[in-house]
Amino acid sequence: MSLAIETHNLGKRYGDVTAVNSLSLRVAEGEIYAFLGLNGAGKTTTIRLLLGMVKPTAGYADVLQTRVQPGRREPWAAVGYMVEDSRAYPELTVYENLEVARRLHPGVLPKAVDDMIEQMGLSAYADRRARTLSHGNAQRLGLAKALLHAPQLIILDEPSNGLDPAGIVEIRELLQSLVREHGVTVFMSSHILAEVARLADRIGIIHEGRLIQELNISELERDRKRLLVLAVRQLALARTALEAAGYTPLLHADGAIALEDASAIDAPDIIASLLVQAGAPPTRLMVEEEELEQYFLRLVGLEAGVQNE
Amino acid sequence: MNNLPDMIWIELRKAIRSRMPLWTALGSLFLPLGIAFLMFVAKNPEVSKKLGLISAKADLLAYSATDWSSYLGLYGMIIAAVGFLLFVLVVSWVFGREFADGTLKDMLAVPVPRGGILLAKFTTVAIWSVALSIVIYVAGLVIGAVIKLPGGSISLILQGSTMVLVTTGLVILGVPPFAFFASVGRGYLLPIGVAVLTLMTTNLMMVVGWAEYFPWAVPGLYAQGETPLPPVSYWIVLFTALVGMLATYLWWKYADQSR
Repeated sequence: MSLAIETHNLGKRYGDVTAVNSLSLRVAEGEIYAFLGLNGAGKTTTIRLLLGMVKPTAGYADVLQTRVQPGRREPWAAVGYMVEDSRAYPELTVYENLEVARRLHPGVLPKAVDDMIEQMGLSAYADRRARTLSHGNAQRLGLAKALLHAPQLIILDEPSNGLDPAGIVEIRELLQSLVREHGVTVFMSSHILAEVARLADRIGIIHEGRLIQELNISELERDRKRLLVLAVRQLALARTALEAAGYTPLLHADGAIALEDASAIDAPDIIASLLVQAGAPPTRLMVEEEELEQYFLRLVGLEAGVQNE
Repeated sequence: MNNLPDMIWIELRKAIRSRMPLWTALGSLFLPLGIAFLMFVAKNPEVSKKLGLISAKADLLAYSATDWSSYLGLYGMIIAAVGFLLFVLVVSWVFGREFADGTLKDMLAVPVPRGGILLAKFTTVAIWSVALSIVIYVAGLVIGAVIKLPGGSISLILQGSTMVLVTTGLVILGVPPFAFFASVGRGYLLPIGVAVLTLMTTNLMMVVGWAEYFPWAVPGLYAQGETPLPPVSYWIVLFTALVGMLATYLWWKYADQSR
């Protein structure tokens, strides 16, 4: 398996501030890799390092098996990207902006511009100046510029920023079809786990410049906390009974009891009979899976929600 | 560099569509029109009485440009001073706008060498600057003909045209360092600020007598044409251009572009 992106202890310091710290990433060809982190976690700096826009202060990055160095021409013919918010020349039309992007990629035929306008649903705006575009359409233009030269590797910084729900679905489907039909590799950053969980094959979580976890989508399902949530009328009675049986009841939101014990989650029927026998029958009993965003916040150490009493 | 024509196309397209060349051309027309007005005032004492202060300057101008020869010399001086500011405005826009509009990032990780992009930008600045010079000069010629300046001849006008053209060239060669300032300052403010400072320093150099070694004073000295300049003056101007272009190139190649 060859790697589309490989970084080795990549780091970037600005004076005393460490933006990216000892980052070792491996993105296989043909996969969708989501790079997840809160604002300021180092996502954009990492992307700029990968694109040779800033020099690393430690380590190195290989993109499409080429060492990234400032001002080099390789490997950019096969890389499409969008960094931060999409910007275009305001005085040029959508068509002209794409024509500029085309000429920056020698060998791309003029027809690619028309095709891309159609593919991104920008036909109605082709002759509009970029300054008049809505945020969503400006974002589409940015994506069109990134995809124009049919790159092998697409690096996108928060691609769904500013898109409406229909646009988000559309971009997701577009990226999936590029991966499926053309074997393209996608490296995208996001701060919303739920958004990338549907799209990515693998997720890397960055916090304060460090890669704190890398996981496959299947691992994501496995690692999320599960809880057995019980609502009862006699709260004290139920807690005593559960503690007597060796469980550790936690106070859940809205006055319910939560159990993290795997034995309880796997056998809620036993818990139900236990409570009935104790004279505190459950009025509600359900297995709750941790919300993705909560899981993400737990990973980066900003947990909220379940609390020990 | 086989994609240089494409890069130049991009730069010219951006410039033309922004209407900036039109605005700078209209702006530069103010100069010959202003001069025409002052000469008109000087030649019509009844108008000049009503205007008071202006008439003193107008008289001064009228005495310094009473025939074609001195009139054309005046244009050389204007291009050396005001043309310089105009050309710095052009170079600031061509380079600084990529930072101001946030469009720089889209030309960094591309399979075109950054040197090619920069060369296209400098070429655009040169074409644009020469065009502005021509606008100023042709307007000057038309006005000179309208006010029926004495002492004109084809050879004199050819001579004047050559002088204006060479002055333009010398001024343009002094402009590349301002591309560097536009890049480092990531916008328009720094190069324009430094340009004002440069003009002030030029005056100072004239006073202390080092003007022929100060690259931004050389075009003005050349336009005055009183004493021939030593060859080293021209070398200094050329060197300034090369240093400016090299500094800009190195900065684009090696500086972190994190915005």
